[in-house]
Amino acid sequence: MVSLNFISPITNSCKAVYNRIPSAVIAKNKVIDRVAYIGQKWTSPHQRAIMGLTAIVMQPVIDWKNKNVDEKTRKVSVARTFAKIIAGTATGVALRYGFIKGIKALSRPASEIPKDAKPFVKKLMHSLTPNNLNPNDKDALEQYRNAMGTILSLVAMVFTNFLIDAPLTKFLTNKFIALQEKGEHK
Amino acid sequence: MFSFSKWKANIYTKYSKDPGNMLVHTGVIGWILSSAAQVFAIVLNDKIPTEQKMFLIPQEIADGGVNILSFYAFTSGIKYIGAKLTKTCKLRTAEVTKLLKDRGLILEKGQQRVKGKVYAGDWDFDITKLKNYKSDIENKFKPFNNGAEVIAGLTGSIISSNLITPLARNYYASKRQKDMIAQMRGEKSHDNVPVTPRVSINNFTNNAYSKIIHPSGNLKV
Repeated sequence: MVSLNFISPITNSCKAVYNRIPSAVIAKNKVIDRVAYIGQKWTSPHQRAIMGLTAIVMQPVIDWKNKNVDEKTRKVSVARTFAKIIAGTATGVALRYGFIKGIKALSRPASEIPKDAKPFVKKLMHSLTPNNLNPNDKDALEQYRNAMGTILSLVAMVFTNFLIDAPLTKFLTNKFIALQEKGEHK
Repeated sequence: MFSFSKWKANIYTKYSKDPGNMLVHTGVIGWILSSAAQVFAIVLNDKIPTEQKMFLIPQEIADGGVNILSFYAFTSGIKYIGAKLTKTCKLRTAEVTKLLKDRGLILEKGQQRVKGKVYAGDWDFDITKLKNYKSDIENKFKPFNNGAEVIAGLTGSIISSNLITPLARNYYASKRQKDMIAQMRGEKSHDNVPVTPRVSINNFTNNAYSKIIHPSGNLKV
């Protein structure tokens, strides 16, 4: 058997280096509150929107600087990257947001269901509430709704990717290519 | 057998306390679905010339593949570092510092380290393992920790998806495009070895578009 004894000194050295790094203490309440807010409130639609915004700034530039392909390919690639990011971000954010809102309505704890509601409505409002819910932990319920909304929106994306994203990307790509060609002929 | 109630309970247990993890997992699945749809969009787009498709199809496949790899290799790494920094209290709030100081877990400047003792900020320190963590510490530590994890996950995702992936996919796709163009023209590859025709979906699609395949079908003898 191969001896892995050499790993232990390496691990210990890494730990020693880590231990010597001075700790950082954040004292500003504004920063602490902001970080806590992000952890509690930023859900997958926020993440998808930020990913899309940063993608539109970074990816077309990378495609344009790709000197391994000819100029025509570069132009088509940039047009398609723009189109793909716009289509993907728009549908991704809308779906995630819609599903999370929908899940919220269907995962109410017993205390939030109106007493005079019809039995069917009561059942519906409780249909996605987890059985092991801790009614005192509001944050856990919020995070569960975000996770469930995101997971179910991914199931919907199996269809919307083909029915909305892909045709929209194709449409926008062709529009952007036409715009490029129009610019070249000017 | 699948139980919907159990599934809901699992999601509640797994993700209600770890939102950063959920974002990584769903992100990966999202990229797979998106790439599959985008390959179809390119194949079906008759306004894109064949030569550009030879770049765009491998570019899109590489996009999905590299995204998943870099998500797990890079984003998870960044997320781990973020979690390690907060759990070991290398990065902490003033409120948590006071709490740790009261318990004698902060190594002050000039203070001699007691051999064998683990201090806040050490690799082996874990704030969640402290005595009375649930009752005294969790509500002061958890909100900041969750936020730091989301920020770390998002930073990792941006770097991997918007920087590493486009660079790697473009490199791979341009190589594939060169090979396929050479193959179509019956040229030798850059290694000066005659290019042997390979049967692949890409080839078939591109050939179909350039009408190389017999119009009445492949099975005609």
